[in-house]
Amino acid sequence: MSDFYQTGVITTLHQLGQPTLDRLESELLAFSKTRPIALVLPALYSEFEGPAMPGIVQELAKVKYLNEIVLTLDNATEKERKRVQEFMSPISTEIRIIHNNGKRITEIYETLKRNGLNPGERGKGRSAWLAYGYVLARGRSDVIALHDCDILTYSRELLARLCYPVANPNLNYVFCKGFYSRVTSKMNGRVTRLLVTPLVRSLQQLVGPHGFLAFLDSFRYPLAGEFCMNTELARVNRIPWDWGLEVGSLAEVYRNYSPRRVCQVDIATTYEHKHQTLSVTEIDKGLMKMAVDICKSIFRTLAAEGVVFSDGFFNSLFVSYLRQAEDTIMKYEADAMINGLSFDLHEETKSVEAFTQAISIAAQTFTANSMGAAPLIPNWNRVSAAIPDILEMLKIAVDEDNK
Amino acid sequence: MSDFLNLILEPLQDVFHKFKDFAPNFLAMLVILLIGALFAWLLQVLVLKLLDTLQFDSWSDRKGFTRLMRKGDMWGKPTLLVSAVVFWCTLIVVLMTALSALKINAIDQLVTQFFVYLPRAFSSVLILAVGYVFSGFISRAVLIAAVNSGYHYAKLLAEAIRILLTTLILAMVMEQLQIAPGIVLAAFSIICGGIVLALSISFGVGGIDAARRMIERQTAAEEKEKTGEDIEHI
Repeated sequence: MSDFYQTGVITTLHQLGQPTLDRLESELLAFSKTRPIALVLPALYSEFEGPAMPGIVQELAKVKYLNEIVLTLDNATEKERKRVQEFMSPISTEIRIIHNNGKRITEIYETLKRNGLNPGERGKGRSAWLAYGYVLARGRSDVIALHDCDILTYSRELLARLCYPVANPNLNYVFCKGFYSRVTSKMNGRVTRLLVTPLVRSLQQLVGPHGFLAFLDSFRYPLAGEFCMNTELARVNRIPWDWGLEVGSLAEVYRNYSPRRVCQVDIATTYEHKHQTLSVTEIDKGLMKMAVDICKSIFRTLAAEGVVFSDGFFNSLFVSYLRQAEDTIMKYEADAMINGLSFDLHEETKSVEAFTQAISIAAQTFTANSMGAAPLIPNWNRVSAAIPDILEMLKIAVDEDNK
Repeated sequence: MSDFLNLILEPLQDVFHKFKDFAPNFLAMLVILLIGALFAWLLQVLVLKLLDTLQFDSWSDRKGFTRLMRKGDMWGKPTLLVSAVVFWCTLIVVLMTALSALKINAIDQLVTQFFVYLPRAFSSVLILAVGYVFSGFISRAVLIAAVNSGYHYAKLLAEAIRILLTTLILAMVMEQLQIAPGIVLAAFSIICGGIVLALSISFGVGGIDAARRMIERQTAAEEKEKTGEDIEHI
């Protein structure tokens, strides 16, 4: 990013001047003495068979300032878990693998369910939530960083820049979100570009000035999966277990902390990961499901803030969104032209049509059942109140699995 | 020749008669075992249903019993564990009863010893259960009191007290079960005596100055009273 403009109500930390990885890492090593840092990696076993994970492990092996790495492994057999343990062995930092399919972790989920606490369905949200629980149970780290395991362009500078604002005791940030441009030979990141931003701006048009909408609009990449926070936030935040994870998490941060303590940081000049398909006919799969879940999460948060949703409101929203999205396509077309990127106008327009349908489905679901629109996993304070020993049991389960 | 035949047939007849006498007992044992096993299974199912109705699993999760199981690397539901214990205890009693039906002296003695030992086993389980709750309660109370009074090593103190109480309870259980009572008593006395001695020495050595100051202060006050040096206003 070449500018130094401060966007919205949160702080934006840009990448200015020459890269300074060595300085960042040496400072982080000093900060980690007083604020130990844990890295949480939610991963599927299939990601260890893909092209991204070897690069991530190679880079993490060079990182010295991490206190612990907690990897939540999903869709893996016991044999595959051992293979992953072997795979991660080049990394010198202490690694704990949470085996989501193991009998001990399965029993932890059962314990939660029989006490009326819903840990949600399989997915990144639940994996991240469980990893936070383990970090809290160990009590060895003050800062938690999280990134996905499918980043093809991973470099350890990404991690350093992500951790720095929260780990630095002279900066008073509790939450930091990463941002980057998703550009190869064309522009990616359709859901952020063509759904979230136009939708938030349409809602601002209809609702008027609103704190949460201004907060959400301040993020350059609200759907980025990379963020860093202090452990206190991991204790008090509820986490959505569906695709509304990123937006829902931001809503929880907005609810619990002042925007002055929230920042976003430029973590990479280029970012590439696996892409999902967008199919209008399959509303329970891929980007369509993601779009519906994100819309539901936004509606639910706004309703909790006192915004009233009626049929008339939704009708206006569809039209307003369509106008905003069409204008956005024009802006991106110009952006692509000046940068010599290929731009498929037809595909972009089809995406907007699909997203309009997603908003409509989300609106119907929300109207039918507003309480169930955005499923949230209870925060760890709530869980510990119901089952005082749950964190200790989780720690025993993970430690036994890693023996 | 007939003598020779008798020599062969008599032991066979003896074995046959003994078998004839033993067979009904053996059959009785099998029947008792079968009915007993069925009874044990029924009891297990009944206990399982009862505990489910009482939401024993949730209670265990909240009261620390589940944590205790997990520490022992047992990852089933608490209700399943309790019902399995009930099943196997019942089955052992049934087995002993079935064996006594064989009417063999050695086994009869074993069975008698087993039933004599049962109350001891029961009371030791009771001591263990009550002791666990008691030690947890005391440890928690010490932790809260120490934290409230600003003691820096509150958690360490509470944990030390919990370990001490657990050792005492385990010694009581071993004594109750009559497992090497002499050794247990000696070991317990040595450990407790050692701890008390260590505390006395550390407090004594560390508190010499404090004790001296206290005594000097006391003596000075008494002498002051005797000499009457205080200025009195008219």
